[in-house]
Amino acid sequence: MSKNESLIEKKVKAYIDNLFSGVGESQQLFDLKEELAINMKEKAQDYKARGMNDEQAFKEAAISMGDLSGLVDDMRRLGQDTARLAINTTMTARISTAGIIAGVLLVLFGVFTVAMLYYMGVDAVGTTGTGIFIVAGGAIITYSVLTRETRRKYAMNRIRAAFYGLAAGILLFSIFTAVITRFATGEMFIAIGSLMVFFLVGIGLLLFLLLTGTDRRKKG
Amino acid sequence: MGTTISNDLIRGHTDTVILNILSQGDNYGYGIYKRIIELSDGQYELKEATLYTAFRRLEKEGSIVSYWGDESQGGRRKYYRITDSGSKIYVQNKKDWDFAKGILDKLIKGGLEDVKE
Repeated sequence: MSKNESLIEKKVKAYIDNLFSGVGESQQLFDLKEELAINMKEKAQDYKARGMNDEQAFKEAAISMGDLSGLVDDMRRLGQDTARLAINTTMTARISTAGIIAGVLLVLFGVFTVAMLYYMGVDAVGTTGTGIFIVAGGAIITYSVLTRETRRKYAMNRIRAAFYGLAAGILLFSIFTAVITRFATGEMFIAIGSLMVFFLVGIGLLLFLLLTGTDRRKKG
Repeated sequence: MGTTISNDLIRGHTDTVILNILSQGDNYGYGIYKRIIELSDGQYELKEATLYTAFRRLEKEGSIVSYWGDESQGGRRKYYRITDSGSKIYVQNKKDWDFAKGILDKLIKGGLEDVKE
């Protein structure tokens, strides 16, 4: 790229930046600025090819742009929406973070109490009973992880995430009841029977959610 | 370049003009701008402001879609393509134009003696 071309490029960039100065950031604004810049640059280069110098070519291109205030207003509205969205996102992100921490702590609390009661010599039913904290923790972690927006994925809809959390909770609960029943009755077949009920419900719900999901991947 | 009235008259058909150009192949902003000058034999120049507002409107209503070209030299061009529904709207607009053109001719130039009994 020659020195002259980069002068036009600089002027065009400054002109467009100035035009949209103070407008809130949005993807649309970014795209529009890039679109306007390349088109204006090509136009200035055409003027130059017809014998104008850089300064004249840029000025002519700027004049023929016309009144862009309508577009600027459009972008300003979009920028405001984005700002609002950003606040929502950080709010959801904070709830999600709190959820993950609370969930992990609950699970750990459950694990430690089970271990503690086991070594205290409490009976097997009592010991596994505190495992209910692991069930609750697991459900909360599932919900919180899914409602988190990451660099590559958008956050899941909160209702949908709640159903996922419910499915995880039911599955964990089915294992929990199976273990409890096994120790309470001493019979494996009753344990499997009680496992089956909740496990099937949980799997059914989970399959439904997995098969009806939308793509949350971010494009580009 | 024409008077204010003729400019306004033409500007009212910006969307159809763009759809016409895009129905002959994908194009980008400055390309469409140049094509409009060409098609009018240099008698009409559409301001960029009008053009980009029209792109946004047409894209929103689903008549055109956009994609980035892969030019590497000094920035990418944003290309536009007409959609099926855009093509349908274009055909309809063309019909509407033919109809309106006939009526306007009669209304603006005609006298009662031209009306056949």
